[in-house]
Amino acid sequence: MIARLRTLSAKFRRLFAKQESRELQDLEIDDEIREHLQQLTERYIAQGMSRQDALAAARRQFGNLGVHHEDRHETQTVNSLENLWRDIRYGARQLRRNPLFTTVAIATLAIGIGANTAVFTLLDQLVLRLLPVRDPSRLVMVWPEGSNFGNNNGNRVVSYPFCQDLRKSPALESVTCQYNTWESVTIDGNTESLNVELVSGNYFETLGVKPALGRVFSSAADDQVYSGSPSIVLSHRFWEERFAADPKIIGKKILVNNYPMEIVGVSAAGFAGVDPAQSPHMRIPLLMLPVLPVDGESLIDRRTQWLHSFARLAPGFTATSASAALQPLFHQSLEVESADPQFSKLSPYDRNLFFTRTLSVETAANGYSGMRDMFSTALVVLMCMAGLILLVACSNVASLMISRATARQKEIAVRLAMGASRRTLIRSLLVESLMLAGAGVVLGLILSEAAIRTLLAMMPSGTTLVMLHAQPDLRILLFSVVVALATGLLFGLVPALQGTRLDVTSTLKDAAIISGGRSARTRKFLVTAQVALSFLLLVGAGLFAKTLYNLKNINMGMNNIANLVMFNVDPRGARYTGPTAQAFYKNVLNEIRATPGVTAAAFSVVPLLQGYEWSGGINVVGHQMKDGEDVDASNNIISPEYFKTMGIPLIAGRDFTDADRNKGQDMAHIPTICIVNRNFAEHFFGKESAIGHYAHNLFRDEPKFQIVGVVENSTYRSPREDADRREIYFPEYEAPMVLQATFYVRASSESKALFPALRSVIAKLDPSLPVMNMKTVDTQLDEVLNTERLIASLSIVFGLVATALAALGLYGVVAFSVASRTKEIGVRMALGARKASVLWLVLRETMILVTIGIAIGIPVAYVLSRYVESQLYGVKPTDIATGLAALAVLAAVAAISGFIPARRASSIDPLRALRHE
Amino acid sequence: MPKSDVLQGTLDLMVLKTLHALGPQHGFGIARRIEQVSEDVLKLNEGTVYTSLLRLQQQGWISAGWGTSDNNRKAKFYAITNEGSKQLALETEEWERISAVIGRVLKLEGEKP
Repeated sequence: MIARLRTLSAKFRRLFAKQESRELQDLEIDDEIREHLQQLTERYIAQGMSRQDALAAARRQFGNLGVHHEDRHETQTVNSLENLWRDIRYGARQLRRNPLFTTVAIATLAIGIGANTAVFTLLDQLVLRLLPVRDPSRLVMVWPEGSNFGNNNGNRVVSYPFCQDLRKSPALESVTCQYNTWESVTIDGNTESLNVELVSGNYFETLGVKPALGRVFSSAADDQVYSGSPSIVLSHRFWEERFAADPKIIGKKILVNNYPMEIVGVSAAGFAGVDPAQSPHMRIPLLMLPVLPVDGESLIDRRTQWLHSFARLAPGFTATSASAALQPLFHQSLEVESADPQFSKLSPYDRNLFFTRTLSVETAANGYSGMRDMFSTALVVLMCMAGLILLVACSNVASLMISRATARQKEIAVRLAMGASRRTLIRSLLVESLMLAGAGVVLGLILSEAAIRTLLAMMPSGTTLVMLHAQPDLRILLFSVVVALATGLLFGLVPALQGTRLDVTSTLKDAAIISGGRSARTRKFLVTAQVALSFLLLVGAGLFAKTLYNLKNINMGMNNIANLVMFNVDPRGARYTGPTAQAFYKNVLNEIRATPGVTAAAFSVVPLLQGYEWSGGINVVGHQMKDGEDVDASNNIISPEYFKTMGIPLIAGRDFTDADRNKGQDMAHIPTICIVNRNFAEHFFGKESAIGHYAHNLFRDEPKFQIVGVVENSTYRSPREDADRREIYFPEYEAPMVLQATFYVRASSESKALFPALRSVIAKLDPSLPVMNMKTVDTQLDEVLNTERLIASLSIVFGLVATALAALGLYGVVAFSVASRTKEIGVRMALGARKASVLWLVLRETMILVTIGIAIGIPVAYVLSRYVESQLYGVKPTDIATGLAALAVLAAVAAISGFIPARRASSIDPLRALRHE
Repeated sequence: MPKSDVLQGTLDLMVLKTLHALGPQHGFGIARRIEQVSEDVLKLNEGTVYTSLLRLQQQGWISAGWGTSDNNRKAKFYAITNEGSKQLALETEEWERISAVIGRVLKLEGEKP
């Protein structure tokens, strides 16, 4: 073994040595040999031979020069490499000679590999990739589980004071926190809405991200004084895109929410942030929060959880041991919180829930993304479906290879007879398959890039997934090459093994191709598998399409959302106060209502279907709460005519009117009335009327809100979550701080035509305010249903592609069988078989294959569909109708692909068939 | 007397032994020595010596260098390395073991019942 390795290494050394040194070595040996012959000759002359005889004798004694040369050459060269090159040239010739086969095979593989690469690219970028930070494996995310009975903004959130507590723990080396928001940023007089990440001063130190230009934040400079450090670190990407990578950007002043701040640096290239689905344009210190009126968040309140907290584990700690070490610290914080007067209102049951909360510590090597939570299951499902497609593609190419091997029996027999070993032949056939797979990869990568572009275009615009890109990188290339190698071996090995198992003499003697048993059986098996796989994919496609349909057409409580236009304005910032903003909104509504083509207009503070939620416990006077009773309700503040604009029916009572505005309690005009939805009314009052009863915040008896109306249930965050949601609406009031508003406008006809008119209304009233997210509610719903749309459309494409491939495979098998049975069919017809019975003879074969395939597919689908249950809505995984539809599609396709060869068989002329061969 | 062909694989052993016994030699010298020792029993294609020398070099068992031959000509000299000596000992032992076994097997004939 060692000897062989040594020889090989010597051979490789020679292979990679310089041309001159190789030539020199050869010349030296030639010299030696000439010298050797010379001496032999001289010896014979000395013995008395003539010069000529001596020369001949010396030659004889030395042996055949040519053979020796060959021997030495073989000793010095790597044979397998030379043979490989020969196989490649031979394979290329074979593939060129049969362009139809080559095209079909490469296209099929490209589809299979392309689908996998596309889905894997997304999966990789969103789920698998580690953050480009120092030692990502030591990075963890820390958050408390369970309800805090206070304010929560998002998942896995902590309060700012608790985040500071965490820094005291020896289990964590450093702790940073961040918050993503969209702010109005004014650069050189142009205002735009940008993704701004608020970060604690040690954010970059904790992650180990260096500046590409200027400086990044530090605890010392940016974490000391409230509003003390108006500095901005640009993301590398934004610096390149917006400022053309201007090196003199440091020191430039820009306005964030009308507050002047200075660009102090650019973060390292390649670093996008801790959320793989977000790409913040810039970062500002968290302590600058007071100049950014971000609603409801606070730097001092322990009861407001709104930040994501990331930490670096101290040496010696794991996520698990750190979690254990942090629990006492967390409980101290809970004790402090429970001093809040609101806590006296909690039932013993809820108190117990509160004090048994735990702190979670989880690795954050690949960051954290709410988006990822949403998409990753979908992507895994799609990855599996793409895998099935690849299997179908492989079996199709394998089937093609088998039929080609059958057609090439003669050639293979000749090569065997000429002394080629079976191993050599199998190797050269495998090289051919790998070449096909290689071409498939190249084409597949192009396909996949186009596919990802299409997919990304389907994603919500502007806000999300901006960091995802379609260009394959090294990881993706590696993935596709591995896939290609695996497929090449998968579809190449069986045909190669089978094709070379020949009886040489009989094959060479007999002109007829032996269509025989084994290879036909293998092909039938492959086709059956294809039918089964296609059935699975079609069932999946059916289930996901139905889910999308259900979600899209669920009764949203609103009618005709295609004619409903929405847009945001954000007047928070220096120029507006609560009262002036309210006056501004009133002017906007008046102007819009006077615009031709508008039938109604209103605004709400919490925008629908944009992922925002404002919720809290709401009880009603006189209701005794049971242990564990969920009294959470979603809140909203709305203008009059909101329900009319949205098309939400009023079930009882009345809508808010202008007279309700600011007619409130105390100086702050907190409202005295509310409207609730049907879920809310039914929960507290059953069949009785809710009108006239009083609702109040779970933790406060005052203020009370009298229920003046009940409206139909309607959507709030997403159709999937909203079926049981309780809602409570308050009339607009003069709040001390500026409330954000989303306007809804009901158009009488073509809604897009209204867009410019609405923009000009805002421009007229305040030209400095950017109008954001103008679109129809229908479009907004589509964006919310992106995951579902992604799965549904991809799975439909996958299902159809698989079916088409299976049809191709089926056609191939049946056509081949008809061709090889021409003689038999001729005999049958000569003996009086009718056309119909020949037709049936062939069709029956197709039917049997399809039936077996579906018979295998049904139980497998039954088992597998359970795994996608969480992705479904309004349809059971074992939906009979979907199964039947898949069955019908397959049966129809199979009938067509079987019928074409069957008809050819039935139109065989018996005379010609018998003369055939 | 007809000459025997050199057994496959034994040439390397003979070349190694020659270099071990005589010290550094050029190709011609090795061929002469084998011819002389074999007493014209073996039919040696002398060209194969050079292939053998290449193989032994690849294994690192011999080394090569330029020197001057007896008749004052420049020639390439081959010398056995330490590793080559070890290998020679090993292979000699192996050869003796096998030839002893073969010898015994061939003698069995006389004991037929």
